[in-house]
Amino acid sequence: MASSKKLISREEWEKRLNNVKIRKEDMNKLVMNFLVTEGNVEAAKKFRMESGTHHIDLATITDRMAVKKAAQCGNVKDAIEKINDLNPEILDTNPQLFFQLQQQRLIELIRNGKVEAALEFAQEELAPRAEENQSFLEELERTISLVAFEDTSNCPVGELLDISQRLKTASEVNAAVLTSQSNEKDPKLPSLLKMLIWAQNKLDKKAAYPCINDLSNARLEDPTF
Amino acid sequence: MPSATVNKPRPSELLSRLTSAEPEVKVRALREVKNQIIGNRTKKLSFLKLGAVPAVAGILADSIDDVTENNNCNNTNNFLVQSAAALGSFACGFDAGVQAVLDAGAFPNLLRLLANPNEKVVDAVARALRMIYQSKLAPKYDFLQQKNMEFLISLLNSEKETVSGLGASIISRSCETNLEQKALFDAGILRKLNSLLEGGSLSLRDASLESLATVFRNNPEVISKFAGPEIGRPLSSIIDLAKDRYPRTRLLACMCLIVIRNASPHFLQDIGIKTKLIHILLELLDDPGQVGDEAPFAFSSLIAQKEDLQKLALEANAIDKFHHHIKKGSLHPRRYEGILLALADMCSKLESCRSKFLSLQVLNLVADALTDYNAGVRAAACICLKSVTRSIKNLSAGYFMNETIVIPLVQLFLDPSTSVQVAALGATSNIVVDFTTRKSIFVQCGGMKQLVQLAKSMESSVRSNALWALKNFVFQADNRLKEGVFSELTASLLSSLIRDPEPSVQEQALALVRNLVDGCINLIEFVFAEDGLILGAIGRQLQCASKAEIGIQGMYALCNVASGNEFHREAVMQLLFTQMGDKNQSFVVKFLQSNDSQLRTATVWTIVNLTCPSSPGAPCRLEKLRNAGIVSQIKNMVNDPCVDVKLRVRTVLGQSMAFGDN
Repeated sequence: MASSKKLISREEWEKRLNNVKIRKEDMNKLVMNFLVTEGNVEAAKKFRMESGTHHIDLATITDRMAVKKAAQCGNVKDAIEKINDLNPEILDTNPQLFFQLQQQRLIELIRNGKVEAALEFAQEELAPRAEENQSFLEELERTISLVAFEDTSNCPVGELLDISQRLKTASEVNAAVLTSQSNEKDPKLPSLLKMLIWAQNKLDKKAAYPCINDLSNARLEDPTF
Repeated sequence: MPSATVNKPRPSELLSRLTSAEPEVKVRALREVKNQIIGNRTKKLSFLKLGAVPAVAGILADSIDDVTENNNCNNTNNFLVQSAAALGSFACGFDAGVQAVLDAGAFPNLLRLLANPNEKVVDAVARALRMIYQSKLAPKYDFLQQKNMEFLISLLNSEKETVSGLGASIISRSCETNLEQKALFDAGILRKLNSLLEGGSLSLRDASLESLATVFRNNPEVISKFAGPEIGRPLSSIIDLAKDRYPRTRLLACMCLIVIRNASPHFLQDIGIKTKLIHILLELLDDPGQVGDEAPFAFSSLIAQKEDLQKLALEANAIDKFHHHIKKGSLHPRRYEGILLALADMCSKLESCRSKFLSLQVLNLVADALTDYNAGVRAAACICLKSVTRSIKNLSAGYFMNETIVIPLVQLFLDPSTSVQVAALGATSNIVVDFTTRKSIFVQCGGMKQLVQLAKSMESSVRSNALWALKNFVFQADNRLKEGVFSELTASLLSSLIRDPEPSVQEQALALVRNLVDGCINLIEFVFAEDGLILGAIGRQLQCASKAEIGIQGMYALCNVASGNEFHREAVMQLLFTQMGDKNQSFVVKFLQSNDSQLRTATVWTIVNLTCPSSPGAPCRLEKLRNAGIVSQIKNMVNDPCVDVKLRVRTVLGQSMAFGDN
């Protein structure tokens, strides 16, 4: 069975690639966008100095990073206060996020063995929210059940105590603040790479050509049948 | 080290600190109040009850004074920001909070602060004002005043997104009349909003979409001025946003396009855009949040009353999709209500949609919704049933007259909400037009008695809808059923309903009588019960009929009575002539001269029955009619534009000639 795919040699491919013009400014913007959304303030500053690429007011990045850091460390009350200083609307108009933060507060109380305070907190802050919403109620019940277990590392809801839960909350908070600061919440670079993978998959059906398999080094690998 | 202490002062303690002489204590308490209420409706309510809003508004007012006196700037700004943020949070999505903020007199102060030099102050204030403008309680903004329009323009031109977003919110909330819409257009506001669409951030784009929709609503003139000359261009930015990556933007863009479509027959009419809108809205159903809750309502506004769109939506499997979502269960009540209403709109006109609906067994799910705890859902389920039960094919087959539907439906007659009652009656009215002999199920579950009870309701809409259902129920029903209804109603109730203060109730009551006496001669006795109470009521009501429909039903009732025996016919004659003693023209002649062809038809039909040749008293009656000028009036109608009238007129004249008239 003869292959109907077209074969493109490396030489041919590289020639075609050279014909496509990409502007340096566009690449700089992509890099800056990545640094900003990820919150690498110092790197962003340096990059601005060295490349002349503009970015949004760094103070807003710093603010946002403070919020994210507080959440990552489990200082949820602090994170909440910082968000409210930045933009009180975020938590007022996002019940899902607010509940998640309060839930994290509850988890931290339980983690520190402050059972009585935890139950009081759940009663006063979380129960009223759960009354209005079935999924909140389920989450609340899951979280409270942590109290019942002696050995939390083995219990069914043990994952709530995991650091990953904190990081998840922190990244949701980061995304919410980003959106409110009228920035795209996702950096552009990953989307670009996804597009590359998609395009290669499409092309695979029609041709054999030097493709990029390792995104981290973007090396062209020779075509194979 | 994670700190998660929950030690906090009691609310009343916090409030007292708000009036502390020490600024440090005061500002910390203020910030604490703000942080406690944000996101927490319960706390907002409890602080509200303790009088927090006037206290915070007071701090705002005092700080403004400090600004003008150039006191300690940083501290003052801090107070301004925190108090504005707290007021904004009280107002956020919480009407009682909005009212309290307005009552505390904070509104004018907030407006003044928009001119403050400090950015953070302006942001906080603009946000607070925007929260107020998202509520129905917001003060009305008078666009027609020059100064106000200039202020609005300055807001929209601001570099700060919080401020331009406020401008957009004011428009969305306050713009109501065509006059205001035109004033906004003339001031160039629409161009400005369009540029915000293209350049602004996510929230600003969303706010602009809402504002544009408000200005376009029901105003074809503004739409064509905006979209006309540069064909397609301004609209194309909105169309692009319908494919935006953010669901809320897609929804708002669709809603804006639908407003344009519905107001103006010239734009967005091609099948491409229609199909796109349907697909986008159906896909938005998958959003788990508020966007998905609102999507079905937007869908309804797109397809309501429009068969072409309903057909397209059917082909796009809309009914299957809605079915799929309801089946999942535990829906937010708003979403549930929206989907039921969307299904109601889908099935309102097209039998193909109803068939699809019934074939998917959606009916059972809708029957379940009749017992939902939310009133809006119950009402929507009834409205959906009303649409589906328009299917004559299935009505005739007795498909709907079964216990799963009838029993919960009858229970809704006693629902605490009037709108649910009325909706249930609407659905019942269709179901009881059951052409088989299974109407007894309705009686067995107490439905008929309930309808009679509802005919005595204080709400006129409930009375008229209950009578409508009874009217349909007795339509071509057997004698026993009709007698049952009549004895439950009683002559005195029915006659008082004929004389009801509300015309719609009068109309339905007369129509009910018409259906009751139609058919068997014995039934005509109803109108003579208790000394001719009903007949008398009909006569009096026809004399002062306020609209044609009342005359039509009343005359058909008399027409049916006159189809009985001589006694009946004489009674009708007496009725017609008793009223004629007045100086006013007899209502018979008035009806014959009416612009309404149905009224003319009904009246001539009655004369036909009164002058039927086979009855002994006919010549005498004819003479009376001739003397009263009625026959000559009828002669003038030989060439009536309405065929029904013309045919009956010829019958009358033919009958009169049989008695030797020229």
